[in-house]
Amino acid sequence: MANPLKLPMVPRALRNLLSRPATRRYPYEIRPRFVGARGTLEFDVETCNYCTLCMKRCPAAAITVSREDRIWAIEQLTCIACGVCVDVCAKKSLSMSVDSRHVHTMSEVGPQGQRPGHEEWHKPADVAPAPVAGTAPAES
Amino acid sequence: MKRTVIPFGPQHPVLPEPIVLDLILEDERVVDAVPTIGYIHRGLEMMVERVEYTEMGFVVERICGICSFMHGMGYCVSLESIMKIEVPERAQWLRLIWAEISRIQSHLLWLGLGADAFGFENLFMHCWRMREEILDIFEKTTGGRVIHSVNRIGGVKRDISDAELAAILVRLEELGKEFKKTASVFSTDPSIAHRLGGVGVLTAEEALTTATVGPMARASGIATDTRLNGANLYNQIEFQPITETAGDCLARVVVRLREVDQSIDMIRQAIDKMPKGEGLALENKPRGNPVGETFTRLEQPRGEVVYYVKANGTKYLERFRARTPTFANVPAMIQLVKGCELADVPNIILTIDPCISCTER
Repeated sequence: MANPLKLPMVPRALRNLLSRPATRRYPYEIRPRFVGARGTLEFDVETCNYCTLCMKRCPAAAITVSREDRIWAIEQLTCIACGVCVDVCAKKSLSMSVDSRHVHTMSEVGPQGQRPGHEEWHKPADVAPAPVAGTAPAES
Repeated sequence: MKRTVIPFGPQHPVLPEPIVLDLILEDERVVDAVPTIGYIHRGLEMMVERVEYTEMGFVVERICGICSFMHGMGYCVSLESIMKIEVPERAQWLRLIWAEISRIQSHLLWLGLGADAFGFENLFMHCWRMREEILDIFEKTTGGRVIHSVNRIGGVKRDISDAELAAILVRLEELGKEFKKTASVFSTDPSIAHRLGGVGVLTAEEALTTATVGPMARASGIATDTRLNGANLYNQIEFQPITETAGDCLARVVVRLREVDQSIDMIRQAIDKMPKGEGLALENKPRGNPVGETFTRLEQPRGEVVYYVKANGTKYLERFRARTPTFANVPAMIQLVKGCELADVPNIILTIDPCISCTER
């Protein structure tokens, strides 16, 4: 037997005495996220055409899209960051960033009991001014 | 003699998940045990009626946080066999590699919990330190540490570059060397041998009659391993199921120790044999809706899991059911607990590697 004294932990214990701890001093020392990690879903309101495909394919039903009202909304706390919406988005309006989601506290719940993490994007631009003659109306 | 009933659980220091055993004692000896489950039933199987089959995979892999990859894989393999989709070869190899990495992860987690249960907290921390590096490999390659979401029906979502695969193999082999030293603590430390040796002996015959699966059965000398059926490219890998003959708690620990080495060896073989190159096909997307039904068997870290899927031609499946390894091992656990000392109950319960979230879904 390699270790006749049956003290197999001793070499490791000596190494631990001389080496840095295996843990990090979180939150003072934060390990950067790996490239490609799935963190937060990000949305670009300028390129979205409100096709509602992301809403239909979302397994957690976190996304609400209204074509008439031009609203794209997400419950960030319901989102499971699976990345399906990023795959199906034809306009590449959706992307996944590596940063983890913002942690909300109960004090952030709205006066009507709105859940924290609910975010909405509106695109009011093509409702207000009448289209100039000769230019096509905005694609819906 | 007067009997005492002691409730074991749902909250107990050794239990990672809630299960209740009403232990009926005569003096210090357990004469009977009545298990109760149902604390974490979430109705995930019922969700097939509301979630489309293409997205149901994300629900299935949330059945359990430790076997998450294998659950997602099992669901996708079931749908692929119903819809007769051929999965690209590299995608199958990647699935095999991830599956074996998740087996290492699960065994390291369990060895840590086991060490904690018999009071060796130092060893628990060393096992979990090694597990952390496996989770880092998962985050690098799949984007998630616990929930991987890379399995799609017809393939996998992400590729691992050949250079990164080589780096992962180097890392795993270093980890394997380090693990051997930790494993020698489990197998040679006299206090562990004293605590686990000869406790909760399950003979080969009992293991067969109670239909145990996975490491539990292999520790009793039954060479059962679902990977031997050769599906999912396991026929191209050389391996023998790891068996021990003692059938006690220590044998169940040793089987899992040796399976970690075996998984590293399987990953080495897989990386050698898989087709190399960039931009190879990874996914054949499903077309139309599935019709038919199927059974799929996989070897999870805890043993054989069976999936039943029935599809009716709509985008919602008619039935999805998973028979998980812990469910198969609970009858043997009850049999082992009968007749043992009260102080041995935590070790016996933990050495079957109970995964209650899987069992209840």
